[in-house]
Amino acid sequence: MHCLIFGYGYMGQIRYQVLANHPEVKRITVVDPGLDSGRSRLGERLLPPGSPIPWEEVDAVFICTPNQVSASLCVEALHRCGRVFCEKPPGRNAEDLARIQEAAGEVPNHTLVFGFNHRLHPAIQAARALVGEGGLGEILYVKGTYGKSGGVRYRESWRNRPEISGGGILLDQGIHLLDLFHLFLGPLKVVDSVLVDSFWKCGVEDNAFVLLRSREGIPAFLHSSATLWKHTFELSIGCRDGYLTACGFLSKSGSYGREQLVIGRRQFEDEAMALGNPREEVITFDRDDSWKEEVDEFLAAVKEGRPATHGTLEEAVGVMEVIREVYAAGLTPVGGSR
Amino acid sequence: MRSVSTESRFPLQAVKPLAELGLYRQRCLEATRRAGEGGIVRRQVSPVSGKRLTPWGRISGMDYGRCPETGSLFLVDMPQAERWQALLTEVSRFRQEPEGFHKRLERSRADHVHEPKVRWMEEALRFQGRSRVRLLEVTTGPSQLTPWLAFCPWLEAVETMEESALAGGTPGADGNGGPPVDAAILPESLDRSDHPVRLLTVVGQRMPRGGILFVTGLVASGYDMAVLGAKNLYLYPPDRANCFSLTGLTRILERTGFMPQEISTPGVLDLEIVRAHKQAEPGLTLSGFDRILMDSDLGTRESFQRFLQEQSLSSFARVVAKKL
Repeated sequence: MHCLIFGYGYMGQIRYQVLANHPEVKRITVVDPGLDSGRSRLGERLLPPGSPIPWEEVDAVFICTPNQVSASLCVEALHRCGRVFCEKPPGRNAEDLARIQEAAGEVPNHTLVFGFNHRLHPAIQAARALVGEGGLGEILYVKGTYGKSGGVRYRESWRNRPEISGGGILLDQGIHLLDLFHLFLGPLKVVDSVLVDSFWKCGVEDNAFVLLRSREGIPAFLHSSATLWKHTFELSIGCRDGYLTACGFLSKSGSYGREQLVIGRRQFEDEAMALGNPREEVITFDRDDSWKEEVDEFLAAVKEGRPATHGTLEEAVGVMEVIREVYAAGLTPVGGSR
Repeated sequence: MRSVSTESRFPLQAVKPLAELGLYRQRCLEATRRAGEGGIVRRQVSPVSGKRLTPWGRISGMDYGRCPETGSLFLVDMPQAERWQALLTEVSRFRQEPEGFHKRLERSRADHVHEPKVRWMEEALRFQGRSRVRLLEVTTGPSQLTPWLAFCPWLEAVETMEESALAGGTPGADGNGGPPVDAAILPESLDRSDHPVRLLTVVGQRMPRGGILFVTGLVASGYDMAVLGAKNLYLYPPDRANCFSLTGLTRILERTGFMPQEISTPGVLDLEIVRAHKQAEPGLTLSGFDRILMDSDLGTRESFQRFLQEQSLSSFARVVAKKL
């Protein structure tokens, strides 16, 4: 396979590494006008500036660019190649996504995947296996916190310039939590939300609080933040017969702590000892294959000419619909009311 | 790779009280000695690394050798295969006798040993997306685990086979086969196998690629084993003819075509075992640090035990591996 990568930033480099180790991938071409071909280690794999995109030669396209160009590239790649992996978010807004949807509708037998790798993290996969019949029973609620501290260059990042990114921390990181909520609960409706730009003053939300409800009425609560001075990922799932807490996250920096899944089982009401404080079991994971699994599945779908099993357009539409609704309400002034 | 720790706690008295171990242990040692009178096979090299065993220590006059690469321990002079098989059957019978602690603590052992084991297997299979599994239980019966397995709705069929019978056959031969299984459990079976490599090879041949193997055992790299060494009364043949280190256990699985998915030491009894030995033998020499630990309050001891679990330093190990 010949794979084309648009953008060689943080995500582009991750995708490149995975593709370089994939047995089906024989050739990779990187397109990034911001890269100095003389200094890049990519050599001839970096398309020289001004060269035409070799659409006819490529089997799959990876779009790892800032948000303001991803939708346009996604549309073009769908038309020219038909097999596209696009990093999240699926466009900056509903309009961008609508263009992608329209293009997808025009290309029969396309394969389109959006990069929602969190659902493939080992703690999430394990949690998924434990809910439901025969496990901890049906889900009663889901609650998630995902956040970072921002960092010294936070204000300068394109991620916080609304004309480029389309939103703040909810669209950047919180979208992963929304995708996980969908994974466990299916489509969600917004009950209420609060967006604040409380610290960074970038004009986009640095904290998002969203209360949601599934079609069956199961509640979910999201806190996405760029002011969590301790990097945090925590997803709590309350079930009929126990609870699960996925916490920590295997990441490149390791700053989210060890990835663990805490399993607690509801005690029987007649148990006298330590009622309300069940003995927990903790599973610690030391390997994250989510990037690899995500690409493996996409390339398998490409090879077999079928739709992918996750990161689908339908799932992307689900999370973007929630984000559209939350953004429609606007920022809440700190100290005031909406 | 994953590892599991647990907040579950139970006392040593609930599963294998040291005070009551003596009689059973003595009978095991005598039976092993008698089995060896019919001829022995000297184990010169480590089944894990193939390296020559170095002298490690003696348990009631029987030599154990140490794998120089992994620290795993092996009884050196093994009774011949047929006698070993008969020996395992004999000591299994000891465990069923009404005066023994195994029988007396049957209910408690079910709660703290067998039920968690079954739940562990069920969870691991769910992680793999498996249900309706055909399972091979490798143990010298009668096993207290077997009745538990019979009531697992996620098991389609359970076949129980003795470890010696399995290891004694020729790998790959039809007579050694039987129907394929999706998973196999070796509950401390590797600890008492006279041919652990062959046993794992044969079990692997019963499984398709992706088959799941469950192994539990005592490991020499665990705290109470490391602190007490040859004075550890829980180390005796034939039940512990082999005492792998965690590294050794991993290596032997990889060597026989399995890829570990979970390596955990969720043991809860290491400190209690050392304390029980100290109480039974006040003259037992411990390091200054270990003495402080033994004298510390319950909270400190529980924290340390938890640390041992989290750092894979407890002496009870369990492994989930996938057939390659």
